[in-house]
Amino acid sequence: MKKIIMFYARECPHCRVMLPLVDRLEKETGITFERLEVWHDEKNADLMRSYRHILAPACGGQLRTPTFFQPESQAILCGEVPYERLKAWAEEALSLKA
Amino acid sequence: MKKSWRCFICQDIHVGNKPPEICPTCGAKNAYVEISTAEAVGITQAFPRQINREAFLQAIEALAAQNEFRVNPDKEKVNLLLDGLFANEENHGYKFCPCRLQTKDFQEDMKLICPCHFVIHETYRHRADGECWCGLFQRRPR
Repeated sequence: MKKIIMFYARECPHCRVMLPLVDRLEKETGITFERLEVWHDEKNADLMRSYRHILAPACGGQLRTPTFFQPESQAILCGEVPYERLKAWAEEALSLKA
Repeated sequence: MKKSWRCFICQDIHVGNKPPEICPTCGAKNAYVEISTAEAVGITQAFPRQINREAFLQAIEALAAQNEFRVNPDKEKVNLLLDGLFANEENHGYKFCPCRLQTKDFQEDMKLICPCHFVIHETYRHRADGECWCGLFQRRPR
C-alpha cells in the first residue's frame, strides 16, 4: 500500500502545527503517513539526506522540515500549509503514477 | 579561503578573507597579522565563554534591534526553537536550525547555523510578513 513520508523535527514549530493535521487526515481518509523525526534519529536523517537531490530543489534548495514525500510519484510538499491543501496534495500524490 | 588574523596589540582574533583595518577592540590601525588556524583556535580557547539560553536570546535580540527584523514575539514558539537550537548544539556541535537538516557538507551546513542569512531567503525577501524559515526572526512591522 502506498504511503507518504513526513520528515519532521521534534523542535520545529511548523511540524508541531502539521502533526495534528496529519493525524486528522489519516482518520478522515485512511491515507497512511510514516512520521520520521530527523534531528534525533540518525537513520531517519540519513534517509532524508539520501533524497536530497529530489527534495532540496522543491524546498528552497535545502532540506527543510516538515517535508511530505511520496516516494513512488516523487511528489513533494514543504512547510506549513492549511489542512485542505495538505489533503488535496496527498490525494493527488497518491493518485499519480510512478 | 578564509584566513585567521591576530591583532598584535590586544590579541583579538579575526577570521575572514582580510583583516579589519581598525581593530574593533583596541582601535589600533593596521594591527592584524595572519596566523595559523591552530594558533587562532588556541588563543580563542584561552578565553572560554559559554552562551546559555538567556545569553543567546539577548544576543539575537541585540542583533535584531540593529536591523529591520525582530525576534518573534511568540514566546512559546521561541522557547521551542531554543530547545531545538541547544539540542542541536549538544548533539551535533552547532546551533543548527531546528527546521532544516544538515547535509554533512560543512561548507553547506554553515548556512544552517542560527542566525542564518535568512534575509535572502524567499520566505523573507520582498515580503511584508517575511520570516526566516523556522520563524525565529520576522520582519518588524512598520
